[in-house]
Amino acid sequence: MQRRFRTLRDLRQHETARTISIADPALACKLTPMGLLPGSNIEMVRKSPFGNAYYIKADGVRLALREEEAAHILLEA
Amino acid sequence: MTKSGMKVWKVALIGNPNSGKSTVFNQLTGLRQKTGNFPGVTVDVKEGALHLPNGLEAILYDFPGTYSLYPTSSDERIVSAVLTNQQHQFFPDILVYVADVTNLEKHLLLFSQLLDLQFPLILALNMSDVAAEEGLLIQADVLSRNFNVPVVSISGRTGANIPDLMREIGLLLTFHMSNKVAYQRFHDCSDVEKQVVGAVQQNLGMENAYMALLTAHHHDWLPHLTKSEQETLAAIVATKGLQSLRAQVDETLDRFDKFIPIVKDAIKSPPVFPVTATDRLDAVMTHRFWGPVLFFSVMLLVFQAIFDWSQYPMDTIEGGFAALNGMIRYALGDSWFTRLLTDGILSGLSGILVFVPQIAILFLLITVLEEVGYMARVVFMFDRIMRRFGMNGRSIVALISGGACAVPAIMSSRTIGNWKERLITVLVTPFISCSARLPVYSVLIALAIPSDRVLGIFSWQSLTFAGMYALGVVAALSAGWLMKKYLRTREPSYLAIQLPVYRMPYWKNVWLTVWEKVWAFISGAGKVIVVISLVLWALSNFGPGDSMEVAAETAWKTAHANGLDEAAIADAQAASRLEASWAGQLGKSIEWAIKPLGYDWKIGIALVTSFAAREVFVGTMSTLYSIGSAEDDALLRVKMASAVWPDGSQVYTLATAMSLLVFYALAMQCMSTLVVVKKETGGWKWAIFQFVFMGLLAYFSAFIVYQLLR
Ligand SMILES: Nc1nc2c(ncn2[C@@H]2O[C@H](COP(=O)(O)OP(=O)(O)O)[C@@H](O)[C@H]2O)c(=O)[nH]1
Repeated sequence: MQRRFRTLRDLRQHETARTISIADPALACKLTPMGLLPGSNIEMVRKSPFGNAYYIKADGVRLALREEEAAHILLEA
Repeated sequence: MTKSGMKVWKVALIGNPNSGKSTVFNQLTGLRQKTGNFPGVTVDVKEGALHLPNGLEAILYDFPGTYSLYPTSSDERIVSAVLTNQQHQFFPDILVYVADVTNLEKHLLLFSQLLDLQFPLILALNMSDVAAEEGLLIQADVLSRNFNVPVVSISGRTGANIPDLMREIGLLLTFHMSNKVAYQRFHDCSDVEKQVVGAVQQNLGMENAYMALLTAHHHDWLPHLTKSEQETLAAIVATKGLQSLRAQVDETLDRFDKFIPIVKDAIKSPPVFPVTATDRLDAVMTHRFWGPVLFFSVMLLVFQAIFDWSQYPMDTIEGGFAALNGMIRYALGDSWFTRLLTDGILSGLSGILVFVPQIAILFLLITVLEEVGYMARVVFMFDRIMRRFGMNGRSIVALISGGACAVPAIMSSRTIGNWKERLITVLVTPFISCSARLPVYSVLIALAIPSDRVLGIFSWQSLTFAGMYALGVVAALSAGWLMKKYLRTREPSYLAIQLPVYRMPYWKNVWLTVWEKVWAFISGAGKVIVVISLVLWALSNFGPGDSMEVAAETAWKTAHANGLDEAAIADAQAASRLEASWAGQLGKSIEWAIKPLGYDWKIGIALVTSFAAREVFVGTMSTLYSIGSAEDDALLRVKMASAVWPDGSQVYTLATAMSLLVFYALAMQCMSTLVVVKKETGGWKWAIFQFVFMGLLAYFSAFIVYQLLR
């Protein structure tokens, strides 16, 4: 399938991309105040030891997110 | 107002989590601080006195760290609740906003909201020492001009410019007395928002537009609103069609758009980011394999510290009390007053103070892990596992702290946003073997478990110890798993946590925290324990009618007839007196219920008294086996080992000891914890549920263990 965007879940380790938006409003309420904004530069640092969570950097800020949370974060393709 | 009639101003410290707010608070107030409580809720607020250079007096409040006035957890809610309520006792005259200057773009959202609330503000750019290292140069005057607030560059670590910050606080307070502030707005309301604001202002008579908007957003939980106000607000929100979540996100983005250019403008030279130490450390600390390995090694170290290192100070404290006890007995002679002093008050006091070393060591280690930034990594690594058991990665901090004491552990669960996950964490944390269970375990294990070695290195006794801790963990996780199935909530659950930069611990912070926790334990739990030991003393020194005298008389006769010596006769008399006392009656009246678990009436009394706090068990047993206040574990064990049932069979068999161990591991025997659970869950319902649930589980598990081993 050809899509114009990816989600944060699709990022491989050390890959970077820009965010477009956060699709879930409740999640956006939690994440935007922490500095994860549309246009933020995201780097996938690593997955958690037992899977299911990601260690990312958003404009240099280190954040931990769950897989489900990452799935709502749309990135430029 | 002070005695001199001078007004005491209220200053609040506000900022994002990890901005260094607590460190700055400690710098500003030093030891002149205490922990108070927000009325109604159990969120602690630290407050300290400020003596300002221009002679003004102020109280500084340290508010919980939050990213926004749209809160997602209960301690963040406090900030919005206070700042939207002008009548609140903590409503500040001015605010000091602490921002991490190394990441200023991400730290000013809340600041911009506070400007819209028209609070007189000082912007404190913290971590200026780090900025200098990274080559980051920010022009404070540009920020000051554009935001129209005083700006001070400070460092909570080095203490740089803290006096300047003090002076600015004094100046702003003086200015504030005669002037009103006016700031640029950082949010342009949408049409819907404008209508909502207008309606709220009209109906509630509110002056500030942004306060009106916030009140509308938060109408369903703001504690100061009356029922009818809430209904009015709900109607306004519904008729104007305010989509709360959407509007919050749009507002947030609007704010970032407005203040980021100002920040960009003020940055003279941007920082150079090398691959930092944090990145290198995290490559190992959060590694797929080494991360968990390191975590468990750290935990091992923590337990080693609690068991081994605390032994010396504990022995000293016990020795000291024993000596004091002896002195009082010698000086005052034997009378009911001496016994009240020694068996009642002193044994209660030593029962508390003896735990101080363990609690201090545990808090020291946990505080250091928190302070260096490691705890957030643990949350990240174990989130997945904790969720299986109905909890959240953040719960792991509570469970680990539960190894010291469930009370502060339960209080640390406030950072969990999801109600269900937080409730489960609160309910299962007391299963983790806390330091109060230690003395019970030591006495019973030494009594009933052989000290033979297995495989050359482990002893059966230390294996049993480890087993008791494992039992606690298993019980906590299984209970969580069960509750996850039966509790329902529609609230979303998030991990979303910031992983702060690793920093060397700042020891001043660490000592202050440890001191604060230890003092909370001594003054909080301490009171309960002293009261209980007094009650226990009374119950075991008085009986119905003259039954105690009669019993003593009979004991004297039998003992004399058997040709016992003076000391043995006295012991026998004390034991019979106790049996005839109120406490003895109480124990006997429940013997039928606990006999299936292998317990006699003496254990029954101990069970009843250790409802107040588990560690009372050892003290009660000492009293019951009439070694009085010798407080000697070895002697107590000898006495317990020779205890027999009326038919002559031994009381403390392996089966009874194991059954008791299991009972103490699982039962909810701690009044302080129950009180905290009641406060944290907002009513007795869950505290009672927890008490009954843990009690039944303990009873039946102990029953099964006893019946199997018998
Ligand atoms: N280098 C440096 N570290 C700081 C400074 N202020 C605070 N810290 C450290 O930053 C971390 C977080 O600080 P803390 O006061 O706990 O942050 P809070 O969450 O805002 O209360 C701790 O390790 C502090 O020692 C500062 O000005 N410079």
